[in-house]
Amino acid sequence: MRVHVVLRYVGFSFLLNAGFLFLASLVALLHADPSFLPLIYSSLVSLLFGLFPLLFVPPTHDISNTEGLAILVFSWLACCLVGTLPYVLWGAEFTLTNAWFESVSGYTTTGSSILRNVEALPAGLLFWRSLTHWIGGMGILVFVLAILPLFAGAETTLYRAEISSLTRENFRYRTRKAIQILLVVYAGLTVTETLLLSLCGMSFFDAVTNAFATVATGGFSTRNQSIAHYQSVPMEIVIVVFMVLSGIHFGLLFSAVRGRTREVLNSSVVRYYGTALILGTLAIAWNVYGTVYESGWEAVRYALFQVVSVGTSTGFATADTTIWPPLAQWILILFTLQCACAGSTSGGIKVDRIVVFGKALARTVRKTLHPAALIPLKMDRKPMAPDLVEASLLYVLSYLSVVVCSTILLTAQGVDLLSAFTGSAACMGNVGPGFGTVGSLGNFADLPVASKWVLSITMLLGRLEIYGFLALLMPGVLRGKP
Amino acid sequence: MKLRAKILSGFVILSLVLLLAVVWAVHQMSTLGASAQKILDENYRSINAAEVMLGALERQDSAILLLVLGEWEQGRSILQAGDESFRAELEIAKGNVTLPGEGSLVESVDAGYAEFRKLWIRPIVGTDKEGNLDWYSKQVHPAFLQVKGRVRQLMNINDTAMYQAATDLKNQADRAVMPGVVAGVATLVLSLVFSYFVNYYMVSPILRITRGADEFLRNNKPFSVTIETRDEIARLGSVIHALCLEVSAARKKER
Repeated sequence: MRVHVVLRYVGFSFLLNAGFLFLASLVALLHADPSFLPLIYSSLVSLLFGLFPLLFVPPTHDISNTEGLAILVFSWLACCLVGTLPYVLWGAEFTLTNAWFESVSGYTTTGSSILRNVEALPAGLLFWRSLTHWIGGMGILVFVLAILPLFAGAETTLYRAEISSLTRENFRYRTRKAIQILLVVYAGLTVTETLLLSLCGMSFFDAVTNAFATVATGGFSTRNQSIAHYQSVPMEIVIVVFMVLSGIHFGLLFSAVRGRTREVLNSSVVRYYGTALILGTLAIAWNVYGTVYESGWEAVRYALFQVVSVGTSTGFATADTTIWPPLAQWILILFTLQCACAGSTSGGIKVDRIVVFGKALARTVRKTLHPAALIPLKMDRKPMAPDLVEASLLYVLSYLSVVVCSTILLTAQGVDLLSAFTGSAACMGNVGPGFGTVGSLGNFADLPVASKWVLSITMLLGRLEIYGFLALLMPGVLRGKP
Repeated sequence: MKLRAKILSGFVILSLVLLLAVVWAVHQMSTLGASAQKILDENYRSINAAEVMLGALERQDSAILLLVLGEWEQGRSILQAGDESFRAELEIAKGNVTLPGEGSLVESVDAGYAEFRKLWIRPIVGTDKEGNLDWYSKQVHPAFLQVKGRVRQLMNINDTAMYQAATDLKNQADRAVMPGVVAGVATLVLSLVFSYFVNYYMVSPILRITRGADEFLRNNKPFSVTIETRDEIARLGSVIHALCLEVSAARKKER
């Protein structure tokens, strides 16, 4: 593997972040808040880190798959490090561990926070916090490819490193067109939600930051009580709609915008996704009605918001779910593991893999009855490649293994089982809140330092869908011996 | 880019990181000094004034009791001194309104004290108030407690503000240290990357050129060295390559 080539491309991630940090510093300047200096300083450091390899390494377009993976993993690590800078420079609640946790949580669109008092942060840092969601939601390399379209030869390799094979299934376009679609849908959703939230009476600053967090399915809010702070039904409806949309494959959304709504409605993944959200809402509403909420309307309102929030891996809250009955909590835990569709900004195992898992299970049962039968596994009437099916099923297993390992490591540090398991599942699925001490209106501040590091690795594993990370850890890969 | 420009820009970037840290640290240190002064100016002066006012009030309360007991000379002198001291400190508090709500609080202290003062400004000894503990307990003492409460409130809001300012000061001190740490780590990482680039793009090609030229001279192997960059080293390589070709052609002619 050519280290200098990897460094050159990782440098572009630094440049991207330098630009966004500069934008956040302008917001700080506009609000005349003291976070301007930490943000502009971080922007300049990031800029210098980005420029350094550009001065030395000549442009290279023939990138190998291993180099592509290394660029992906190191770009994410670089971004998380850069994201840590303004927090560390700000101080207060941000120790080095807390700053790293908050930064990883932001970029991976997890939304778990260590902040006890979010509202104490100045506007510039709040904006930066939400912006990390927005950068990470799209995928760092996709963002780099979209904004800096100068990697003609390297484009496909980098795109394949960032975008999973499941996501590519629904894109019938060339790489550049697919990237453009992702960017257009992403920006379109953000702008529309900002406008609608503003119309509902939310301040423009809150509307922008909450739109960033919704469309990226992140969950960082600018308020201690998350969306519960606003106590506004219209705002909740807007956020629910955009959380649901952000959980659908962006390629399908693009088709719908261009008038091909049938593609969305005929997709078995989208149908399963919608049905699961409706059934989950009804089941929880039935469970909390009379036990937590006196009126049926309230039960449906809070159940819908929490199911969609967790089921799309966003993590916003309008209710304290830690006081909900055990059945409601279990349903939310299942949604924490599943999350939304591939090709969206959502995390988790993803609905697509759950559908593949269900179909593979049904096929195995049928093969038990008819051992000689050749039964292809089909998705939307098209047969799926066997290696894609195998990879999907293996992913579910690997995913659950990481959650279990993380839970064990957390309990070893004295964290109670409920908080450890749900916290690990929430971080792996990039959902945000769990149960116990890390509930929907709580935070991760009181976890031991080592637990925060374990969870930040879990978040990165979840965001990079495990394989990329593991591939680089294989012996000899980094030294160019795949 | 030329070799000299590359090396120079590498050092410029390293220096810029350090320069940024220095500028930040200087800025934070000057802010730190200003914040410390702000605590003294805005909060400590008001707290001190409130403390003196409380002491003066206590002394005036005792003096009124002395007057009720008929001790005119002692009572009046204590009362006079307490009044002067209270009013002097009240003026300081009035001129040092820096917190939200502090202005109205100072005004209420002023108004309350005026009410309290009205009660004892007229003679007490030799009037129906002498020995009249009922008058003291029903009129003077409640008025005294009211002013005292307001002064205490004034002291509390300044106390809280001073605590907050001290916390901010601690955060600022931390912030003054962090850029140095960040710059140190950044410079270290950039230095490692810089030395890697210098080795990869400058030292290694020179070694390869040297080895290639050596092989040509000793074993007559054709000079073939690939240089990725387009700088002086690449030109050196191509010049040596041309030289080797000429030498090789001359050798062939000699044979």
